[in-house]
Amino acid sequence: MATESSEGEEETKLMGGNPQLVVDADLREMAMNAAWSVSSCKPGNGVSSLRDDNYETYWQSDGAQPHLVNIQFQKKVKLQLVALYVDFNLDESYTPSKISIRAGDGFHNLKEIKTVELVKPTGWVYISLSGNDPRETFVNTFMLQIGVLSNHLNGRDTHVRQIKIYGPRPNPIPHQPFQFTSTEFITYSTLR
Amino acid sequence: MDLLKEAETALCPSNEPSSEFSGVSHSPPAILRNMLPNGPTSSSVCADASQRSTVKSIIQAPRRKLVDEGKLKMISGRLFSDSGPRRSTRVAGEGVSTANINGITVAGNGTNHSSKYPSISKLGSAAFRSVTVRKGQSLSTETFSEGVRSELDDTRSNTATTTSGSSLPPDTRSCEHDSSVSRASMSVSKPASGGLQVLSLLKIIGEGYRLSCLYRCQDALDVFMQLPHKHYNTGWVLSQVGKAHFELVDYLEAERAFNNARLASPYSLEGMDIYSTVLYHLKEDMKLSYLAQELISTDRLAPQSWCATGNCYSMQKDHETALKNFQRAVQLNSRFVYAHTLCGHEYVALDDFENGIRSYQNALQIDVRHYNAWHGLAMIYLHQEKYEFSKHHFQRALYINAHSSIIMTYLGTSLHALKRNEEALAVIEKAIIADKKNPLPMYQKANILVSMGEFDSALNVLEELKEYAPHESSVYALMGKIYKRRDMYDMAMLHFGLALDLKPSATDVAAIKADIEKLHMPDELED
Repeated sequence: MATESSEGEEETKLMGGNPQLVVDADLREMAMNAAWSVSSCKPGNGVSSLRDDNYETYWQSDGAQPHLVNIQFQKKVKLQLVALYVDFNLDESYTPSKISIRAGDGFHNLKEIKTVELVKPTGWVYISLSGNDPRETFVNTFMLQIGVLSNHLNGRDTHVRQIKIYGPRPNPIPHQPFQFTSTEFITYSTLR
Repeated sequence: MDLLKEAETALCPSNEPSSEFSGVSHSPPAILRNMLPNGPTSSSVCADASQRSTVKSIIQAPRRKLVDEGKLKMISGRLFSDSGPRRSTRVAGEGVSTANINGITVAGNGTNHSSKYPSISKLGSAAFRSVTVRKGQSLSTETFSEGVRSELDDTRSNTATTTSGSSLPPDTRSCEHDSSVSRASMSVSKPASGGLQVLSLLKIIGEGYRLSCLYRCQDALDVFMQLPHKHYNTGWVLSQVGKAHFELVDYLEAERAFNNARLASPYSLEGMDIYSTVLYHLKEDMKLSYLAQELISTDRLAPQSWCATGNCYSMQKDHETALKNFQRAVQLNSRFVYAHTLCGHEYVALDDFENGIRSYQNALQIDVRHYNAWHGLAMIYLHQEKYEFSKHHFQRALYINAHSSIIMTYLGTSLHALKRNEEALAVIEKAIIADKKNPLPMYQKANILVSMGEFDSALNVLEELKEYAPHESSVYALMGKIYKRRDMYDMAMLHFGLALDLKPSATDVAAIKADIEKLHMPDELED
């Protein structure tokens, strides 16, 4: 679609960052059961540091740019938001500045869906995967790749401290066209 | 059936030490008294004690509430296993609760309890027995502090003669010999009216409990209302009332009853798992976490406490932690049905249907009549689009709890999925009548009518529903869809707009916006 390609060109700049992770209540973390891999890493700063819920540890790449994080899901999932924890104050030239997000069925047909530029971020930065068209609110994909294209101050290797990936919560009640919003309906729709 | 089992398990410590008397269980009390290993001494102890206890038990009542039930069970279990017949003469008639209270009080309570059991045997109802057994821990002192105790001996001797021919249930044996001891001390005959009074109280309580086990909750509530004010406002009765309201999906009333139950007996755990679910449904996160904290500090080894904590986490959508808490509850007492079901709910929330099914099945293995687990299974099958299975399981759930409008609604949904629309509508109509406050069946009816192409009647239903739940986005969204199908674009736009204003979930926002964009496009061009 035409809108999709124009979306890829457009570059958003993200400043600052949030010390606390704040996400809408109707989103949930999706990548718990996904397979995570990275293009390269320094021993001791591997892929597990990305998911340990610890801001002190970080993943450090050890190779040529672009540095890649691959997230492969067990089934096709709907994704809406990527949240990264980076810290310019601590990492300086290791802090990523240009990030590209790609999606696809596997390594063979990844397609860029979003590029963002981070400006001296400290804390959580949120990258929405939604397009402008309401039908493109979610990315329906088997695999997501987060590429660090360049760093601040022309740094070579990169540090990322946490990555979270969010998708919509499925409707708890099967066979409903819409989710219920009022308390009356929700109370009566579940039996515990 | 399961009630009997429950009663037996509750009574098993009292059975064990008295087993040596089993041979003479049918003989008159006088012989039994002679056969006691240290008969004269213990009976004299009991004699003093039971007279004193009339005064004492009143003072003692609040203290007994403080006794921590879960730990007690463990302690008393140990005591009974190694203590000989000497102890049994005094404690045999006793339940588990008072085992560690000092000798005199134990004897006092012993007579107190023992006078209760024969009266049960007279009624001969299994359900009844289990009520009093469970209740024994919290309620007995309140019920029997009236000085009725001495009169009871008379009624007991009557029952002993009437039932001596027939075989007595195992639990009455020990009681009988115990009360014979107390009879020795009080051979005064008193009017039987006091005993009858107690019996009538127990009859009401038992009938209420029976009805609530049959899930005839409104009837149960009416029966409990017959209790005198004083007895109605006790922890056990109020928590039963709360449970009944809970089954009727009247969570506000349930919350009030449970709240009063906690005021009446703050350390009782009975029904607190249900209370936490009520608070969960009401989204009272503060009260729920407070309750969970209190229960944990009351008894960290009780499954109810961990169920409450789990519900707390589940409400915050932290399903992993909630699951851990419920698993802890299962670990503490693997016979605690509700913990299994709650585990199942959490697995479903985590999309792990396989383990969910397993948890529900575990629950059903313990108690086939636990309809929540049937419902949970049916929901999983509905998720998995196994509609035939789903329908069957909803029917099983409905067979147990025939008055639940929620189950009826879902049965309608699964029938609709099986394309049996006529039956579905019939069930839904029944659901609408069963609970007028439940808006869900109306909404489902509209859904079914839309799929049958009866837009006008669907719109009528939705218009009515709109009056009832003006803040429900999905009602407006569905109306918008209908107007769109009928090519009434202005109305469709209006209703889609209203639906969006009510902040539906992101998925629905996307769907509705997509619908709006396609509004002016003929249906054939849609993808």
